[in-house]
Amino acid sequence: MAIQAAVGRLPETPSQVINREKIVDFVFDGKTYTAYEGDTIASALVAAGVMTFSRSFKYHRRRGLLCAAGACPNCLVQVGDEANVRSCTTPVQAGMKVEAQNAMPSLDVDVMSATQLVDSFLPAGFYYKAFIRPQALWPTYERFLRQAAGLGKIDPDSEPGYFDKIYKHVDVAVIGGGPAGLRAALAAAKSGARVILMDDQSSPGGHLRYRMDEIDGLPAYEYVAKMAAELVGFSNVEILTNTTAVGRYDRNWVGAVTGNRLIKLRTKALIVATGAYEIPLLFENNDLPGIMLGSAVQRMIHLWGVVPGARAVVVSANRRGLQAALDLIAAGVHIEALAEMREEPDADLIRKLSAEHVMIFKRTTIKRAWGIGKVQGVSLESLHSGQIHEFPCDLLLVSTGYTPANQLLFQAGGKLRWNEQIHEFTLDMLPSDVFAAGEAAATHLLEDIEREGELAGLQAAQFAGFGGKIEKVTFLAAKVEERRAERIPWTQIHIAEDEAKKDFVCICEDVTRKEIKQSIQEGFDSVELLKRYSTVSMGPCQGKMCNINAIHVCAHYNQKTVAETGNTTSRPPVTPVTMGALGGRLMEPVRVSPMHDWHVKHGAVMMNAGLWKRPDHYGDPSAEVRAVRERVGLIDVTPLGKFHLRGPGVPGLLERVYTNRWQKLDVGRVRYGLMVTEEGVVLDDGVTARLDDDFYYMTATSSGASGIFENMEWNLQSGWSYDVHLLNVTDLRAAMNLAGPRSRDVLAKIIQGVDLSNAAFPYMSVRQATIAGIPVLLLRIGFTGELSYEIHTPSGYGLHIWEALLKAGEEFGITPFGVEAQRILRLEKGHIIVSQDTDGLTNPFEAGMEWAVKLDKQDFTGKASLLMANQKGVTKKLVGFEMPDGTIPEEANQIVRPGNGPIGLEIIGRITSVRRSPTLKKVIGLCWLPTEMSEPGQEFTIRVRGQMKTGRVVPLPFYDPDGLKLNS
Amino acid sequence: MILLTCPNCGTRNVSEFRYGGEITKRPNPNTATQAEWANYLYVRKNVLGVMPEWWCHQSGCGQWLIAERHTKTHEVLKTYVWEARPQE
Amino acid sequence: MWKLIRHGLNGNKPLPRMWRTHDLKDSYDVVIIGGGVHGLAAAYYLAKYHGITNVAVLEKRYIGSGGSGRNTTILRSNYLTPEGVAFYDESIKLYENLSVDLDFNVLFSQRGHLTLAHSDAAVRTMRWRAEVNQIQGVNSSLIYPDEIAKLCPHLDLSEHPRYPILGALYHPPGGIIRHDAVVWGYARGADERGVHIHQLTEVTGINVENNKVISVQTNCGTIKTGMVLNATAGWCSLICDMVDVKLPITSHPLQACVSEALKPFLDVVIVSGSLHVYVSQSDRGELVMGASIDPYQSYSLDSTLGFLESLSGHMLELFPSLSRVKILRQWAGVCDMTPDYSPIMGFTPVEGFVVDVGWGTYGFKAGPVSGKRMAELIATNRTPDLIAPFYLGRFEDGALIGEKGAASVGH
Ligand SMILES: Cc1cc2nc3c(=O)[nH]c(=O)nc-3n(C[C@H](O)[C@H](O)[C@H](O)COP(=O)(O)OP(=O)(O)OC[C@H]3O[C@@H](n4cnc5c(N)ncnc54)[C@H](O)[C@@H]3O)c2cc1C
Ligand SMILES: [Zn+2]
Repeated sequence: MAIQAAVGRLPETPSQVINREKIVDFVFDGKTYTAYEGDTIASALVAAGVMTFSRSFKYHRRRGLLCAAGACPNCLVQVGDEANVRSCTTPVQAGMKVEAQNAMPSLDVDVMSATQLVDSFLPAGFYYKAFIRPQALWPTYERFLRQAAGLGKIDPDSEPGYFDKIYKHVDVAVIGGGPAGLRAALAAAKSGARVILMDDQSSPGGHLRYRMDEIDGLPAYEYVAKMAAELVGFSNVEILTNTTAVGRYDRNWVGAVTGNRLIKLRTKALIVATGAYEIPLLFENNDLPGIMLGSAVQRMIHLWGVVPGARAVVVSANRRGLQAALDLIAAGVHIEALAEMREEPDADLIRKLSAEHVMIFKRTTIKRAWGIGKVQGVSLESLHSGQIHEFPCDLLLVSTGYTPANQLLFQAGGKLRWNEQIHEFTLDMLPSDVFAAGEAAATHLLEDIEREGELAGLQAAQFAGFGGKIEKVTFLAAKVEERRAERIPWTQIHIAEDEAKKDFVCICEDVTRKEIKQSIQEGFDSVELLKRYSTVSMGPCQGKMCNINAIHVCAHYNQKTVAETGNTTSRPPVTPVTMGALGGRLMEPVRVSPMHDWHVKHGAVMMNAGLWKRPDHYGDPSAEVRAVRERVGLIDVTPLGKFHLRGPGVPGLLERVYTNRWQKLDVGRVRYGLMVTEEGVVLDDGVTARLDDDFYYMTATSSGASGIFENMEWNLQSGWSYDVHLLNVTDLRAAMNLAGPRSRDVLAKIIQGVDLSNAAFPYMSVRQATIAGIPVLLLRIGFTGELSYEIHTPSGYGLHIWEALLKAGEEFGITPFGVEAQRILRLEKGHIIVSQDTDGLTNPFEAGMEWAVKLDKQDFTGKASLLMANQKGVTKKLVGFEMPDGTIPEEANQIVRPGNGPIGLEIIGRITSVRRSPTLKKVIGLCWLPTEMSEPGQEFTIRVRGQMKTGRVVPLPFYDPDGLKLNS
Repeated sequence: MILLTCPNCGTRNVSEFRYGGEITKRPNPNTATQAEWANYLYVRKNVLGVMPEWWCHQSGCGQWLIAERHTKTHEVLKTYVWEARPQE
Repeated sequence: MWKLIRHGLNGNKPLPRMWRTHDLKDSYDVVIIGGGVHGLAAAYYLAKYHGITNVAVLEKRYIGSGGSGRNTTILRSNYLTPEGVAFYDESIKLYENLSVDLDFNVLFSQRGHLTLAHSDAAVRTMRWRAEVNQIQGVNSSLIYPDEIAKLCPHLDLSEHPRYPILGALYHPPGGIIRHDAVVWGYARGADERGVHIHQLTEVTGINVENNKVISVQTNCGTIKTGMVLNATAGWCSLICDMVDVKLPITSHPLQACVSEALKPFLDVVIVSGSLHVYVSQSDRGELVMGASIDPYQSYSLDSTLGFLESLSGHMLELFPSLSRVKILRQWAGVCDMTPDYSPIMGFTPVEGFVVDVGWGTYGFKAGPVSGKRMAELIATNRTPDLIAPFYLGRFEDGALIGEKGAASVGH
């Protein structure tokens, strides 16, 4: 049988947001409840009489609904696989599974709540002082402590869900749709600016949505609804409800979240009109279920028609508290007593309350609340006489102070200062593109709020370049300034001096006043240190509920003013945001060649190569190697960086970026080029072909491609004034390498426009030709050591050429080969792979590439470094080796000799590449060795999987040392 | 997010740009002493304040530009191409 | 423990102050600039091992307000170079005894550290590190997905991710610690031994005569001293400017964030270099997460939205089930990056001015060893062997340390 959350609701009123026609069922802690559509989880539970929503973080005390504004930690629940859901702002949905958090084993019986019995042994910083000795037991203690940590649970099978992002650009963004924000948006809209108004509630109106008092002859909620309706009429205004601005970042870059969507907003001017938070009061047992803030009670009554108690005590220190008391009476709640902390409370409201026979105690505060599991009564204390009055109750309404929701202003770099006159943080300074209005700026009278909103709207629009006459603006500003002095003085926090058992400053972390006092005694007397030591304000409320109280308590015990005590840094996000919304959809780009689908269809095992997908092999890399050595193979090398270089200055540029010489490269010739950094570290290699007088074609490694391109551009744009035009054609061209003794035969069948003979088209030359009707660039080069041709063609024809080559090669036994075969082939040939065989400090001399460095060139990138390195000589060298006993070491195994390290070894080198060569039928590789050990024939010890193995230096290359194959 | 003005494309989010670091003066590699060269390679002023630095409009037009940016407030006072740099 | 129980029974009498406040003296034997872990540890060891107690630690804000109170607290010693491994290993050993040494529980949690490899090249680098580590006596090995799954079942170890996990470097002694506790513990230890800790005291100038330090200017007055230690991390260039010592350092922001508290599910520290994330779950249940440095030089402590976006995206690639976990708080620190991802420690061309800087994104773990060895350097006026490779002149000598591969996102 479902527990009815429908009974006991107040009669329908226009301010309510529930639809009584639609009833939904949901489950809380194993029991089924009914709710109305429009209910939040919390409103439905309160309506059903639920008082305990959660157990607290440290002492596992019962906690009930407190703020009903999404700020405090009390109503956090687990909803399905989502942890830490704020039940007071989360709409109920049919079938929702809601569970209490941090309750062991259950909400009603929580064994961990026994911790509070020993709390006097758990002072602030307890963990730092305990479990120190014996040291060996700490891991065990820790495991136990850890079990008690955390709130909600993670479900490892939780589905990621759909999240996305959207960009918005406006002239004026208004955060907060209360009276200040609405006025601001209206004013800005009228001046013609493009405006966005965001509000985290389901409709604009702010605190007036749940206020009944009359404004201009209308109930507050209707008054503000009219304002909102006016705004809807503007075509240059976008209103985003259920949207929370979570951060204001550099240059008015605003992050906001609505559901599963992140909004990234750039606005010329930002208006922060985020209102204020009502905050709790300090007194003994101030955390009992049944103790609620005034605004929470008003929300319950006016938005959801829910009455959270029958017999109430009200503690008030401001006009709104008295109004809330009147609301309670109207809702049929009996008020046992009303404690008013002020000496002279608002006479009009006191008159009304007296007329309802409410027992009113002026200049009186609350000393303590009591009750088992919920509030059952309170002791009130006269601030004059100290006299105590006790009253039973099941609801304690506390409305004693608000604090501006000024986090966005703080993040914007606004300077806030404690104002001793009105007991709030007010603004000293804001950046020129940020404006504030209403309660966020500590302005509280509605008339002032609206004026300030309008002023902010005009100023913001003006800042963004729209309308607004200066005279009008200053006039309004003056009026608002006048008004400021009239504002209601909000009460000071009242700090009891007795050693009350449990008065919580921070309900997230269960930090009591006493703990703060102790922390200060221990020297954590600045607010920042206090926060870190006591953990006050580090919990889910992010300080919204506790920060002001903590500052007061800190000031109190330091015997300083609040202004001297200062504030802690407010860090984004303003409210917790899911990683899903922040991460959005997975946007990891994948780059594929035009032949990609062919590879996949033909059984290629694909691998990641940076952003690219490449065939690692097609089943048998050794067979692929043999095919290339014996017949002919074809590999997709599209990921290579490919650049067009045009202009008379190209040789000059090449001279600069490569270490070798480029002045005399004939048209039709190709040259290998090596690049180093200014530090002289090997950076990249590739080839450059001269296609025409002023036209060159360059390739670079695929991982280096974009960086190399930008670096060349930098050279061109930083005053070297080469007359060169560079074009990155990496994505425009497909490339493949046809390699093996029969490659010429394959090409010959399908190529036109080129004489393939060795004499006419020798090694290291380039030709333009057509294959199967398509123009191609043909480079006779090869990484594999065989006769081979690299074919570059417009991407769109890549697959066509690929298939044409395979078809033509059929009779010669052509085989596609992948990266793995290529790695073996290049290793057999002794070619290095930059960044595998070299590292972040390798220079070309060490890498055995001195032949590619021309130190007598006038200048090139890295020249001075290489001059110096050359002078110093090399202490280590990259050399070829083989394994006489056939052991296959792993790449990155270390070369060692006996030494006095912990296991008796000293590192002297390392293996960078190793393979069993299918061609040579032995294990070969490249390794770093000290120069004195790098002569062919010398032996050395490798630590292979913990065993000592012997390697022997051999000359490079392993295969075809005279390059006969290449040149055949 | 920092905004940078590309001379070709206008004002853009910094996420479109690649950072090129402080502008350094390269000594003549043929005559530089080891100390001068090391100074050029590694030593940086690392000022707290406005400094000229290289940026490349990587996800835009590819232009390298110089920005005079405040390293704490992130305010960008000026951007320009090399040729338009103020003469020392 | 008994102290606490006695305290409980005594009706909670006032606790002693962890460190006291003093007026600035006219002169100190040693002035340490920077109240982070490095500065405070140096002060502690100067007093403890060398009997040098006429020492001032000057901190412009409050102690731990720099990187030491902003880091993601990952401790490990599985570096890439033998110099690096030996150095960090000594630090981990000091950390292992630190709670007892300071009589203050720094909550060092050696829960194991995994550096994920998502590419062949990364697997190779992890093996390189494992091999170097093993030879140096550091517990570290390359493991593969089946074993990773046992240590961290929530990771997506399938083939589906854009960059599947191919292996990991597993370092069991690695872990996390309560950073503030380390700072406070050292502060208390130093204070007990007579060191003066001056908060809200900013160094504004250093006076040098005949290439010798003679005094330090602060917002609270001038102090005579012949020995100054610069331990200001992200701000170290500004201090070195005061004595015209040139540094190969740039300051970059590094950001971090925490989630709301969750029941413990992640026991190990997870680092992914190629996805630029690292994450651990604290004993409070929060996920503590970070990424790589912001790409541009800056002294700003402002956070960015872009950081949260990319971090979350990458986190979800590793842990798809966390999409509804909420980020609670983000912040930034300033890191002093060197070209070779290794610190700069030791003497400078100015007599009486020594540096312990260049801590980049990885310096918290080195606090104890740096403090101990810099104290030794100051007390003995010679460079201890362990830190000799990290001398300032190595850049001019072309003797850089090859840590780049291991430290760039590694922490
Ligand atoms: C987000 C983030 C994550 C990190 N994660 C890790 C990690 O997981 N593991 C790890 O080992 N390291 C990590 N680090 C790096 C680590 O935090 C630092 O390297 C380390 O804390 C440096 O310590 P320090 O004592 O040298 O400097 P800091 O702690 O930065 O202390 C320097 C102090 O000098 C003060 N100061 C500066 N100028 C002056 C002046 N003129 N006068 C007086 N005082 C001054 C500052 O206020 C500051 O308190 C991280 C850093 C950051 C920012
Ligand atoms: Zn551009």
